[in-house]
Amino acid sequence: MFWIRQIINGITQGSIYALMAIGYSLIFGKLLLVTFAFGEMVVFGVFVSYYLYAIAGLNLFLAVIIALPISWGLGMLVDKICYEKFRDEPRFLMLITTIGFGIFLKSFTQLIFGTGYRSYPNFIEGKIIVGGIRITYIQIFIILTTLLLLYGLNLFFKKTKLGVGIIALSNDLDAAKLVGINVNKSIKFGHSLGVVLGVFGGMMMVSYYNAIGASMGPILGLKAFTVVVFGGITSLPGAIIGGFTLGILENLSVATFGSGYKDIVAFVILILILVLRPSGLLGKKIDLF
Amino acid sequence: MATILKTDKVCKYFDGVKAVDKVSIEVEEGIILGIIGPNGAGKTTLFNVLTGMLAETDGKVIYKNKDITKLSPQDITNIGISRTFQNIKLFDHLSAHENVKIGFHTKTKTGFIDAIFKTKTYKNDEQKVNEKGIKLLKRVGLAEKQEILGQNLSYGDKRRLEIARALAVEPDLLLVDEPTAGMNAKETRTIVELLDKLNDEGITVIIIEHDMGVIMNLCDEIVVLNDGNVISRGDPNYVQNDPAVREAYLGKGAS
Amino acid sequence: MFSNSKISNIIGKLKGIILENKLKIYLIILISAVIFPIITDNQYYIYIGVLTLMYMILASSLNIIVGYTYQYLIGFAGFFAIGAYTTAIITTSYEVNFIFVFLISGIIASIFALLLGIPTSRLGGIFFAFATLGFGEIIRLIIINWDTLTRGTFGIPGIPRPKLFNFIINTNTNFYYFALLILLVQLFISYRVINSRVGRAWLSLKENSEAAKAMGIKIAKYRVLNLMYGTFWAGMGGAFFAYFTQYVSPDTFVLDEGFRIFAMVLVGGMGTLIGPIAGSGLLTILPELVREFARYQLIIYGIAILLIIHYRPQGLFGAKELAQAKVEEKK
Repeated sequence: MFWIRQIINGITQGSIYALMAIGYSLIFGKLLLVTFAFGEMVVFGVFVSYYLYAIAGLNLFLAVIIALPISWGLGMLVDKICYEKFRDEPRFLMLITTIGFGIFLKSFTQLIFGTGYRSYPNFIEGKIIVGGIRITYIQIFIILTTLLLLYGLNLFFKKTKLGVGIIALSNDLDAAKLVGINVNKSIKFGHSLGVVLGVFGGMMMVSYYNAIGASMGPILGLKAFTVVVFGGITSLPGAIIGGFTLGILENLSVATFGSGYKDIVAFVILILILVLRPSGLLGKKIDLF
Repeated sequence: MATILKTDKVCKYFDGVKAVDKVSIEVEEGIILGIIGPNGAGKTTLFNVLTGMLAETDGKVIYKNKDITKLSPQDITNIGISRTFQNIKLFDHLSAHENVKIGFHTKTKTGFIDAIFKTKTYKNDEQKVNEKGIKLLKRVGLAEKQEILGQNLSYGDKRRLEIARALAVEPDLLLVDEPTAGMNAKETRTIVELLDKLNDEGITVIIIEHDMGVIMNLCDEIVVLNDGNVISRGDPNYVQNDPAVREAYLGKGAS
Repeated sequence: MFSNSKISNIIGKLKGIILENKLKIYLIILISAVIFPIITDNQYYIYIGVLTLMYMILASSLNIIVGYTYQYLIGFAGFFAIGAYTTAIITTSYEVNFIFVFLISGIIASIFALLLGIPTSRLGGIFFAFATLGFGEIIRLIIINWDTLTRGTFGIPGIPRPKLFNFIINTNTNFYYFALLILLVQLFISYRVINSRVGRAWLSLKENSEAAKAMGIKIAKYRVLNLMYGTFWAGMGGAFFAYFTQYVSPDTFVLDEGFRIFAMVLVGGMGTLIGPIAGSGLLTILPELVREFARYQLIIYGIAILLIIHYRPQGLFGAKELAQAKVEEKK
């Protein structure tokens, strides 16, 4: 029973990671934008929704719906500041600009929303018991929403002009230019979409754990990166598999070693993956540096 | 004459594309061997395989009767094989002199302790790299340009500096990849003279080159590659008149 | 109004004057640093002076790694922590001469660098950066969780003052000169290493690793050596921190601390010895001058990095290569 519950917790957590990882994979794996500010952007976006809900007193769903376009705008801003000028330059410059922006955004978030942890409401309260196993509604909600979004994204990348364009330019930039894809616009769109997916994943996560703190950014970014590398940087399905795997592994390790070591497990996994299989489970090897 | 380098059915495939396919050549000590062939024939890939920069798919490379197939590029440099690159790879933000100094890495021994306490080893090494470095720069005609950054040198000077740097490892076998590309007739002549002189001093040279004048002038022997295969080999006269070579360069029916 | 050309003319002349008198200027800075605690008796200023010097030691050590081999060590705070905790654990249990404690702290940090460096020696850019971020966090989490050794979140108080014969390094002024001495020794040693075969090998793998291979330079070996050398000084810096504040806790060694030092290196300019000195001086002293900004310190650091990369990518006093990033071929 205990283990089954841990696995269900793991799947829930994995759904959240999968969403964030798809956002990250889109930015890093498909658009080849090196980013160190992803976690900070996610935290900022989530805080915006928290602010709208807790301080401005909006309905929670309304707050979420308003925060998403703001996150989109943040994505545009980051592209403008950190990437646009550096598209044709050595990629370590992007690493530095996003480190700079990450430091800025993290402190900015702390300044506006405070340094402490805030409690974030559950989207849905309640639980059901199936065969003696407790499943909360929020878990069901998270898993279903993730699956729905993944389905929608799949359609977007296969059926829409923009989606096809983004995939095309990740495969072959020159060919994409030749067939008339607006590279700049596609990158901007893809980047913002990645940020919004990350923020949405972040919202579900803080809603699941009921807590949000401005200093969570770098660790979230690191987790998303771990998942993406684990699944295969260039592969979106890889990001999903990576997300679920890391979620389940983390929860099983909590059950085995205690919660103090949860993050250590994640980071040890990260370093092992980077060293042993930098191209991940699925996905091609890419050489960014 | 002894054989200095031998390849035995060396292959390098990229995703099924046979860039180098079962190439077997023998290089006698003390000669200048030319490798020619149309673009994409596998010449530079062969160099990369010989120097350990790429792992061969199959086959063996023997240098001075020793199997060097699995050696790292560093170890291959260590046993006396040195190279230049087709798309010049200098240390762009370091001066010409510093570029050459780095070339002496395997011929010097300074470690942390030597550097910190300026031990005898350090002093000997520094003196050696400074003096020999200048000497090498003089040899290739860059004595006056020793303080200029690699990236600010003219195209021809960059190629010259690369040769000087390759000589710093004191090789017995020098692989040069299109050393005269982009040079005018006068510059080309100085490179030819330099390579000829180095050869007289006992360095075996393998040269990839498109300029047939250079090849015919310089080489004792020529290997022609096409689509990763050796299609002809022999002295310049023979190769020049080989119908297979004409066909490869000019297309079928030309001969 | 000045025209643009006039301004650039003036800047050019200024640069010329600075370059011609480089040694004199360094000497003036050094003399001012030496007499600073004599001309002021404001303890707070001297305290800030000590912190500034400590950051100069840390930034200089990170610069050896980031600036000379382009290894983006984001988890730098981890090595700082290892040095500080080594000192704290040793000195609160045994009586050991502080010189040995410093050396041991540096060496332990280097050993961890070896353990991290060997598996990550083939990772480039962001992969290395994230691996070291994970490493830094692992160190911090181990410190929090291994409470029999580290007292967990309570931290370790009561670190004794360093003692040499009968002299106890005690006052802010004592520590000020102590830090200055460490910094000068560090710079002296780094200068010698950089201008030797070892330093040239480091530069070669930053410049062009393919060509470095062709010169017979063992890339992984020199990357790891570089990491070990740089983190040795991070460990020394950590030891200094522990002795100075007499208390260490995991709160000090959060990622932000690593970012702060990273910002100092970038803003001052990486790849030169003077760059990080200037950067850490500027980024420690400036926020103090404008006390109202203390809360915004890291915001300013972030903006400073962005401004520098946009308008002066080589940093204030950095090596030339970043300035020409534009003309370089994309990797």
